[in-house]
Amino acid sequence: MSKSEIKPETGGERKAESGESSGRRRFLGTAGAAAVAAAFGIPVIMSVRSCVPNVLYEEPQRFKIGGLDKFTDGPTFIADKRLFVFRDKNTFHCIGATCTHLGCTVQLVRLKSGEPGNDYEFQCPCHGSKYHADGVNYAGPAPRPLPYFKIEIAPDDGQLVVDMSQIADRGWRLTV
Amino acid sequence: MATTETKPGNGKKINLPSAEDLTWSWSPRSERESGDAIVTNFFLHWFPAKISKRSIATSYSFWLGTISAILFLILILTGVILMFFYVPSVERAYQSVKDIEYAISFGRYLRALHRIAAHLMVAVVFLHMVRVFLTGAYKNGLFARQNRPLNWWIGLAMLLSTLLLSFTGYLLPWDQLAYWAITVGTNIAKAAPLVGEQLRFFLLGGHEIGQNTLIRFYVLHCFFIPAFLTMLFLWHMWRIRKDGGLACDDNLALNQKAQDAKPATSKTYSLLGITSGRTAHVEAALVDEDKHQVSSVPNLLKRLLIVGLLTFAVSSLFAVLLGSPLEEAANPFVTPNPAKAPWYFLWLQELVTITTIHIGKFTVNGAFIGGILVPGILLLWGIAQPLLDRSSAAATGVWFHPERKIHNAVFIAVCALVIVLTVVGTYLRGPYWHFFWPWEAWPVHPPRF
Ligand code: FES
Repeated sequence: MSKSEIKPETGGERKAESGESSGRRRFLGTAGAAAVAAAFGIPVIMSVRSCVPNVLYEEPQRFKIGGLDKFTDGPTFIADKRLFVFRDKNTFHCIGATCTHLGCTVQLVRLKSGEPGNDYEFQCPCHGSKYHADGVNYAGPAPRPLPYFKIEIAPDDGQLVVDMSQIADRGWRLTV
Repeated sequence: MATTETKPGNGKKINLPSAEDLTWSWSPRSERESGDAIVTNFFLHWFPAKISKRSIATSYSFWLGTISAILFLILILTGVILMFFYVPSVERAYQSVKDIEYAISFGRYLRALHRIAAHLMVAVVFLHMVRVFLTGAYKNGLFARQNRPLNWWIGLAMLLSTLLLSFTGYLLPWDQLAYWAITVGTNIAKAAPLVGEQLRFFLLGGHEIGQNTLIRFYVLHCFFIPAFLTMLFLWHMWRIRKDGGLACDDNLALNQKAQDAKPATSKTYSLLGITSGRTAHVEAALVDEDKHQVSSVPNLLKRLLIVGLLTFAVSSLFAVLLGSPLEEAANPFVTPNPAKAPWYFLWLQELVTITTIHIGKFTVNGAFIGGILVPGILLLWGIAQPLLDRSSAAATGVWFHPERKIHNAVFIAVCALVIVLTVVGTYLRGPYWHFFWPWEAWPVHPPRF
């Protein structure tokens, strides 16, 4: 059945109604459609929102990594935190081991013919980024240098404390 | 067997359904009987009663769509059984996969079949897209009320869902491969402009990959994406019927029209009485029935069964021969070297590697270009393709039609590039993603601290 066939009947019916009544009809129609949209839409929004966690049970960003005597001169890899801690006699600094490209763990590689102070570099297994010993990226896709984190000495037991929420400058050192 | 029963009271006989009513006859004795099978059988009613010989010929479609549907079915069946054994918990996931491998009867086969069917499905769905493109089947032909572009778009969504299904399934064993694939994958999501950070948080259910992430991917993998894909599948199939079958039928009808202008045999379709306009089915009657068409029962059905059995046999064979690898348990502290994505994402990994641009001190991250921009552009191009293609209806449903020369050439070039990148990523990349020839030995891992 085409629309033109239906028109005369309904058209006639419509004309019989007062303008007020058809306005009310339109209003009720819109309100009804809005109610249905809300009835489906609001639960959807609620469900999506509930998937954004409000509470996380993640490890704290600030933690102890051990006493001073645990660290010998040179680099130490703290696997479970993905960090490198460097000791140079009585200065310390700490570089994150998470590649700035896509988050793999970089590895420390000894350079064969390295002069002192430049005898190793960081390399990333995923896409081949390379960083100098000071964390500056020089090859591969990594967009930024590796981050430096602040270290402190815990006042209670003298252990080193790393705060991964505090990014430090490249020149930053802890002197003990 | 039809049984009759005498109803007490008025003595009228009623017929109970016979076996033939529930199944169908393998060798129908008449056209009528074969048509009846389609109409009365619940499982067959979505097939047309008659089908053109060309559309069930292997040389036109290679049955790729059917094969992917069968693989999806295998995946659902094996997946649901695996759900009895798999525990989506960070502490237990890896162990439960080990149990499936070593302790559960036929568990190793089930998991291998699930995995191999997933790999095959990615490949076959991709090939199906290639077939549809090269035959120009995303274009409307002759029949009324067609919307083949829409079906092309549904197909693209199905391709994406297939990839997402594979990706979400990847994390579940919680081994090294899983962990690092997700690390890299979600960091690519992070490179999306504006919403990247939130998107990653939402995907992971936190800042790190952990229990929240695992359960999220589990639910997506086992429910949401398969449900979505099933819906798309039904829509896809329904559209094929509405479009008058495979696109080669359009071409058949067109050629026939040109050959002889004899009026199409008039047919009575009961639907005509209550719907307006012409339907694709009436138009399909333009195809000369006697010359080009055969009954679906048994022709389509037999081929379907053969393709189904072959698909199952081949994937079973692969499953038994190849098994499925399980790496060491996930270790967030040690990245395997090299860390490779599954083969169908390797072209992206390769792109991500080679598209980082350094301009002086300023670096454009390859994660954005290779991970988001290039795939995004490819997708948009795929979506726009039916609108870009201005070739005539004669180019619909024909392999390599000369009118579509340029479109096909560009498409083949892009596919070739993707394949080349995949091959480079698979065979030519070693530790630290260095370039190696396949016959070159990889160096012993440098000393680590
Ligand atoms: S994650 Fe390090 S190079 Fe890609």
